[in-house]
Amino acid sequence: MVNLNTNKTSIRRKRHKKIWHFLTIIIIESFIFYFFISFLALKEVNYNIILLILAAILFIILGRYKNIYGTLVESFSQHNIFSIVFIILLLLTVPFLFRENSYLLHICIMCGLYLIMALGLNIQLGSTGMVNFAFAAFFGVGAYTSALLAVNFQLSFWIGILAAIIMSAIFGLLIGLLTLKSTGFYYALVTMAFQIIFHLLVNNLKFTGGSGGISNIPFPKVGKYSFGSSLRILGVDLPYQSNFYYLILIIALFSIYIAVGLYNSRNGLIWNAIREDEIAAKCLGINVAKGKLEASAIGAVFGGIAGPIYAHYISYISPESFKFDLSVVLICMVILGGLDNILGVILGAILLTVIPEKFRVFAEYRMLFYGAIIIAVLIFRPEGFIPKRIRQYKSLAYGKGK
Amino acid sequence: MEILRTEKISINFGGLVAVKEVDFSVKEGEILGLIGPNGSGKTTFFNLITGIYKPTKGNIFFGEENIAGLSPHEITKKGIARTFQNTRLFWDLSALDNVLLGMHRWQSISWFNSMFRRNYTAQGLRKNVKEVFNLVNDFVGKELVDRMYQKVRDLSQADKKRVEICRALASRPKLLLLDEPSAGMNPEETVELMEDIKKIKKKNAKIDVIIIEHDMRVIKGITQNVVVFNYGEKIFEGTFEDASANKEVREAYLGGEI
Repeated sequence: MVNLNTNKTSIRRKRHKKIWHFLTIIIIESFIFYFFISFLALKEVNYNIILLILAAILFIILGRYKNIYGTLVESFSQHNIFSIVFIILLLLTVPFLFRENSYLLHICIMCGLYLIMALGLNIQLGSTGMVNFAFAAFFGVGAYTSALLAVNFQLSFWIGILAAIIMSAIFGLLIGLLTLKSTGFYYALVTMAFQIIFHLLVNNLKFTGGSGGISNIPFPKVGKYSFGSSLRILGVDLPYQSNFYYLILIIALFSIYIAVGLYNSRNGLIWNAIREDEIAAKCLGINVAKGKLEASAIGAVFGGIAGPIYAHYISYISPESFKFDLSVVLICMVILGGLDNILGVILGAILLTVIPEKFRVFAEYRMLFYGAIIIAVLIFRPEGFIPKRIRQYKSLAYGKGK
Repeated sequence: MEILRTEKISINFGGLVAVKEVDFSVKEGEILGLIGPNGSGKTTFFNLITGIYKPTKGNIFFGEENIAGLSPHEITKKGIARTFQNTRLFWDLSALDNVLLGMHRWQSISWFNSMFRRNYTAQGLRKNVKEVFNLVNDFVGKELVDRMYQKVRDLSQADKKRVEICRALASRPKLLLLDEPSAGMNPEETVELMEDIKKIKKKNAKIDVIIIEHDMRVIKGITQNVVVFNYGEKIFEGTFEDASANKEVREAYLGGEI
């Protein structure tokens, strides 16, 4: 009888705990979402700065008090499916909130594009330790492939994106093969050279349109429905950007899904081994050359997916969009967010897309702020917003086993 | 039966002959000590066997196969595991991840599974994690098992060496090459290490161990035979007692008579 009672109370306590966890997730995610939305929507500069400082203070407090941090981690890791579903639901509402202001929707789309690319770069830079300065070239290969196919052969976007994936993978393998022997600084230098070669080539070749680029790239179509027409959901007219927003949301979520899978698998572990010590990795039977080529090709595919979406969304591409600067920005996103930490990379990509956009008011001083933020983060959190963590195999257990 | 046999292998670095026409063999089930003064080519010899250096001349037979000139990961796949003189671990990973990576030799990896079959991959990994815990528990003991989730960088010198040996053992090798396993250990830890190496033999009688060591107590305590190197040449082969009585060996260690 006594036993039964204690059992009941423990069940009740568990249920209480569960509700508490759900509440924490809902509150935290809603707050982050609200903060993100209001930060995007705010126009007055001083409010922006106050909000930024508040967020930074909150972040530091959470980081300092391990207790709060611990409960957060516990509730998110125990109910990860719920937390993912909830944040997706919130993200689905974004076009409704920004239906009056399509520029803000445009920023969200760019966030998604940068996020996909940063995830791809993270496989190379974070997991495998290859400091790749040629990532903008992968993006460019994808964009040019699908744009040229669409403009010259009237092929649809969906065939274009497949072709772009294949082309960028081939390009990634090629760069991987040519840089196989170089590591560290030398690898960085060689990839820089490749980035510059790519930019000069598309700038000077005839079939890529030279410095004028390619214009009038058609919008993607599903059946007869064009992505250029305004979307109507539940009786609300949304700007045409929302088509692209939902497309990029799906692809970004899928990219995160793949990136998480790779991180948690043996492939991710092998990439880490290559990053840490190539000779030791070889002496464990790991084929280092193969691992590096795989990282190079798979990372490039992420760029190759983002490229066509960008080309068909802006409907105009020029060599200026695939310059060395973009590669550096992507590297900043990965390093600032946290090397080899997918959550960190997502955060880094979103912050470094949104913040420069919000500082547009400062006109030419915009990039100065950008630089200042990078320096500040690297002084106070040298391993990025969310540093890489030790792999936990308990959380893989889905509630059973050791 | 000989598991490893070298035929006149040599390697030159420029004008320097680091290993010179060494004929060497290990019988199955043996623990062999490899000793010699500093710079006598012992570690270079290990690097030749594991394929990090390619021999200038000569052949290396592992079982029936000639493995000279193969790349390190191919040689490892055939069943040779090693540790390093200056402990090469994956410093930013946990001790657990280090040993897990040691299992790579006998595992197959599928891209499809790691991308889409999450539960299957996770179950496989969890099974391996349990195996790692069992291995570490058998080989070292409970204390190290509790520290498996720490970064290897933060472990003590002795634990780093132990993790490295566990990582080599996790690959289920036929031949294990230990390069100065007792470096950086205090006398008690060295005694423990000797017991641990004997345990490896007890668990798997077929495994061969070649051990480079400067601590002669270890050599005396666990090896059956020793090979002595000096200036890249093999100068002696036999039991430790004979080696310590041998005039040439004594000269190599203590210098020639004036």
